[in-house]
Amino acid sequence: MKLLSALRDSLSALLLTAAIACTTAPVQAQTAYEAKLAPEVNTAPALCDYVPCSEVLPGATSFSERKGQPFYVEGYAEENGTRKLVGYVVLSTDVTDTPAYSGKPVITLIGLTPDGHFAGIKILKHSEPILLLGIPESALIKFNDQYLGKFVGDNIEIGRSRPDEDIIGLDAISGATVTVIAQNQVMMMSGAAVGRQVGILEATVRPQASFVDHGRALDWNTMVKEGVVQRLAVMPEQVGLERSSEPFIELWYGYLNHPEVGRAIMGETGWRSLMSRLAEGEHALFVIRTRGNESFKGSGFVRGGIYDRIQVRQGQDAFTFRDLDYLNLYGLAAPGAPAFNESGIFIIRSPAFSGAFPWKFIFLGNRVDRATGARTFVNFDQEYWLPASYLEGGRPVVKKPDAPWMRVWKTRAVEIGLFAALLLAVAVVYGNRDALTRRSTRKNKWPVNAFKYTFWVISIVFVGFGLLAQPSITQVLTWFHSLLFQWKWELFLTDPFIFLFWIFIILTTFVWGRGLFCGWMCPFGSLSELIHKVAEAIGLKRFQFELPMKWHNRLKWVKYVVFFVLLAVSVFSMGLAEMLAEVEPFKTTFLVGMFNRAWPYTLFVAVLLGLSIFMERPFCKYLCPLGASLAMPSTFRWFGLKRKQECSTCKACAVGCGSLAIDEHGRIDHRECMHCLDCMVLYTDENTCPPLAQERKRRTKAGLPLTPIGKDGYYIPIQPAPAAQGLSAVASTRSAS
Amino acid sequence: MIDPRSMTEPVEPPYPGGVLAHIGAEIWDHLWPWSRSGFQRQRTIQAASLAIAIAATLVWVLAALGNDLAPNTIIGWWFGWSVFEVVVRLGSKPYVKEGPWWSQRYRKASVMDMICYVGFKNLLIGATLFIALKSLGLLVL
Repeated sequence: MKLLSALRDSLSALLLTAAIACTTAPVQAQTAYEAKLAPEVNTAPALCDYVPCSEVLPGATSFSERKGQPFYVEGYAEENGTRKLVGYVVLSTDVTDTPAYSGKPVITLIGLTPDGHFAGIKILKHSEPILLLGIPESALIKFNDQYLGKFVGDNIEIGRSRPDEDIIGLDAISGATVTVIAQNQVMMMSGAAVGRQVGILEATVRPQASFVDHGRALDWNTMVKEGVVQRLAVMPEQVGLERSSEPFIELWYGYLNHPEVGRAIMGETGWRSLMSRLAEGEHALFVIRTRGNESFKGSGFVRGGIYDRIQVRQGQDAFTFRDLDYLNLYGLAAPGAPAFNESGIFIIRSPAFSGAFPWKFIFLGNRVDRATGARTFVNFDQEYWLPASYLEGGRPVVKKPDAPWMRVWKTRAVEIGLFAALLLAVAVVYGNRDALTRRSTRKNKWPVNAFKYTFWVISIVFVGFGLLAQPSITQVLTWFHSLLFQWKWELFLTDPFIFLFWIFIILTTFVWGRGLFCGWMCPFGSLSELIHKVAEAIGLKRFQFELPMKWHNRLKWVKYVVFFVLLAVSVFSMGLAEMLAEVEPFKTTFLVGMFNRAWPYTLFVAVLLGLSIFMERPFCKYLCPLGASLAMPSTFRWFGLKRKQECSTCKACAVGCGSLAIDEHGRIDHRECMHCLDCMVLYTDENTCPPLAQERKRRTKAGLPLTPIGKDGYYIPIQPAPAAQGLSAVASTRSAS
Repeated sequence: MIDPRSMTEPVEPPYPGGVLAHIGAEIWDHLWPWSRSGFQRQRTIQAASLAIAIAATLVWVLAALGNDLAPNTIIGWWFGWSVFEVVVRLGSKPYVKEGPWWSQRYRKASVMDMICYVGFKNLLIGATLFIALKSLGLLVL
């Protein structure tokens, strides 16, 4: 009956998971997840004909065409027959293609009031699987709502507010930290891009450079070598075209205000003529195209318009070029200069720019998705900074802002430190397991259990509910794809706890097998077994059972099937794989909360945890795809648990093995073992381990001393000392091998 | 009598003596799933293997030459090859290492042992190959 009951529960869980997967299809249709946008969204001058601008700019009844660089549109309201500016709208991908967790940007429409406050935000499209199923999309909408009314020039970060540092904090979405960090970057960059163009934000004023003129006549190769002339090449495949050895475009550029560079490129007369045309605070750079057929001036350029293919960025300031900022460049004076088929000189007319500081030359392009034909905004940039020897006093000190992941590590330094210490402590304790198991006996396992239970509680409370650091199979799938296609450290560093946890998991799995993570540190596994132990302690032991070995040996393969199905599905659709990964109850338990999700998810967790009262770790043994993925490399762990030859006939350890990892021949399957160490306690327990108990009785009866138990699990043998040294027996160590 | 210290019975692969020769033989084993004795026993499989090996090589050469290969296709090939390699190895080199990687203890491989070994090894080889090809600019995905 118990077996039938267990099977019935397991079947219910599987059916529930399938039902969850089935019921998500209609949900998908109503969300912005992989929503189909008109191709014109990325290119049409009349942006608001294709996206709901009025939803993000309340009161606006008409909109301008795209203008500026990066693009934005102006929104107007009719008032007494006249048009009144009521704000601006910007499409996030017109400003930045910052990828979120999925590797694709969250395409957001952002409305700003005329004085630079966020007026409305609408997600047009995202590819974040976690927002499809794990966390409701409304969570991202709620997150975005936090920006409403805030100024584009505010220092807004994810996390707590720090008034002393003038930082406004936003509440993150539990379990989607990477997504919201990327979203914050998008929001602030987009707001600032519009704010600077329309005068809401003041441009930064940078001290102008003083150049060192050595009077050298530089040739092309020297300038390239010293970095004062640089190359930016874009390959066809980078913009979604057929791969070719010929670049889509190859550009060379440099800063002409420096006398040595200017003279080398334009000749003495040409350079002096150029400089005489520049006002104070104006800067010139040259650009030539040496390969490729695409014009860097832009095929759609018309007089009075903007060059929409190139841009210069210094810090947060973007500099674009109009027709009046362009001069012809007919030839290059520098010896060794390459042949070119397009050229030009562009003038930056802003005191915000300084040749002393680093800047980026940006080529703006569109990437075409060959499968769908959809175009997405993409830019290619290259940093340029005059070498120290070209500047009076060398390069100024530039404090670059921390990368988003670095800010996370800094703001959560204490928790990260505690977590790292915890992981280290677990490894050290387990590394000394021999000392702990020797102090334990079958009847008193507290020397081991005190540590294990403590780590369980910490894992559940601090790691699971506190840090939300529950490793998941979705991370394995993401890593698998990243490893093969595009490894981005930033993506993984943004969640420091998961990052550290995985270092711990990988290292300990290779050294000891998956049991240390699964059995000691997995928050859900710990919760499951703790419930089982508590139930045992309060008198429910008589209802507790394990499946017969025959059934266990069949059902344990289910988790591998689940893992391989998820892996196979992820090849075709990561989104679908993430949906199916709901077979893991982790999101419901820790990341989102059992009472914040639809009832089927809560019921699923309740069934699994309820079953844990009666059976030890049912999810870990039979369903967990993460456990399966870790079990596979555990086959090749370096150090396993110890066995004696007598274990092949003795069943003492096997009977007590809650993981059912010891077979009828006494062999431990390290793929299934949770490292509870119960068998290791017995291994050196002279009252319980049959070979030891037998030897103890024999020696006691014969009046022989009980020598310490060696590494091989036997009493160190008593060897007679040579006659010359007396008749007393001495113990000598037995070979440890 | 069954040795409970090993999940399956111990095996001694036909490796030569000497540390370097032994390491060389192990590396060869990792890269080359076939053996002479296995080849004799699995003639049908080997015939299929020849066809698959040619097709797989062609795909990899095409990839190296920069022709377009969708990520799914590549993972599909990787997966298909791994399944095939498991079958071949179970007939040709049916053993896996036991314990530390620097030790010289081997045991008979069960099907699951072989799946774990081939899957893990090919993931490492695949990742190394992709990283090398991409860093050399020969592969853009």
